[in-house]
Amino acid sequence: MSEPYIEQVDPRDARGTAMVDELLEREGIRRDRNLDYTCAMYDENGRAIATGSCFGSTLRCFAVSGAHQGEGLLNRVVTHLIEWQAARGQFHLFLYTKADTARFFADLGFHEIARVTGKLVFMENRRGGFPGYLKALEKDRRDGVSAAAVMNANPFTLGHQYLAEQAAASCDTLHLFVVSEDLSFFPFSARRKLVALGTAHLPNVVLHDCGPYIISSATFPSYFLLDETDAMAGQARLDVEVFKRIASALNVTARWAGEEPTSQVTGLYNRIMAEELPRAGIRFVELPRARAQGAAISASTVRECLRNGDFKALEKMVPPSTLSYLTSEEAAPVIEKLRRADSVAHG
Amino acid sequence: MEIKKPAVAGTLESSDCMVTVEPGQGQVDLDLDSAVIRQYGKQIRKVIRETLDRLDVSNAKVTVVDKGALDCTIKARVECAVYRSNDIKDNLPWGGVIK
Repeated sequence: MSEPYIEQVDPRDARGTAMVDELLEREGIRRDRNLDYTCAMYDENGRAIATGSCFGSTLRCFAVSGAHQGEGLLNRVVTHLIEWQAARGQFHLFLYTKADTARFFADLGFHEIARVTGKLVFMENRRGGFPGYLKALEKDRRDGVSAAAVMNANPFTLGHQYLAEQAAASCDTLHLFVVSEDLSFFPFSARRKLVALGTAHLPNVVLHDCGPYIISSATFPSYFLLDETDAMAGQARLDVEVFKRIASALNVTARWAGEEPTSQVTGLYNRIMAEELPRAGIRFVELPRARAQGAAISASTVRECLRNGDFKALEKMVPPSTLSYLTSEEAAPVIEKLRRADSVAHG
Repeated sequence: MEIKKPAVAGTLESSDCMVTVEPGQGQVDLDLDSAVIRQYGKQIRKVIRETLDRLDVSNAKVTVVDKGALDCTIKARVECAVYRSNDIKDNLPWGGVIK
């Protein structure tokens, strides 16, 4: 009898893909829409008996055929995916898995970051990863009332500024997190710089990077790439669990967010925060959007204007610091990318 | 030897171990996960440290996930990860620092 072997399942390989889907289905797992690598282990008859996938720095969509459980196949699949990630330079890895299978991954060197009780567990392969991030944050813990907000600021608008001003006025310290993941039109370095410039007049704002932990492609891939509602809801809940830990490290008692009339994922995220955060003693404040010329200001409208070259309308929607960046040489490649994109609504 | 870039060697299969080496912060930081840590934790750490010493690695973050590997396996996996980190694939010093 030949040893089972592991191979990549090419997305164009209909037969392999169907077998992987069937394995996942039997485990009650729906294949994530956004994957960049899938592998399967085949038995001597060419039937898929185990599978696993990657997206960004995460491992996901694992399943082992019921007839082969307890044979250590998961270990081989995880080894294969770790090697694949190493080959492309990813060593800090994340995964989320159903609560009842988390212990298998704990035996493979993965450590729990957060969990949605009875549903999902979020893990990483660094023992000190998340605890280290929290410890570094604790240095910025301040006395008095602290609040927090998280923004992608893609790019920073008068709406973001209004939110920061209102939130900062409500507390002694506002911890403002900028999404670090570079999956948006504007690069992280530019987004962070514009947030810093646009909040420079607010002395009680402390800027932080989200790192891989909040709103990252590890915890919350559907924030950047559309997915189905139940997948988005699960990821949003996990993100809220991670935020609770961050809030406790910084003694944050309120989370501020802009009202979300258009984006489906952010709307869902807000709804889940409104539901979950008060249970952890954190107030959730959803601020109505700042308006310009009768319409709510949003970063997606700003991107739409940039795409159409409508710089006149921009003046009413972004602070001078953002405007001067948008009209600089530095922003030219991003604007070019916006012009060529099919849609600028998401991300 | 210097750990120039992250590298991984070994597997998570039974009787093996997976070793990841990364550039360190001035010393050797060792993170060990093992199914048999209570029985053999001390011995496993000793083998890893000795191997790193022999390879003259004094600045590295080393993560080992052990699935019950024998000492000789642990030693081989550590050596392999360190050499991979230096992109050395040929003319390995068999009988020299690798013995």
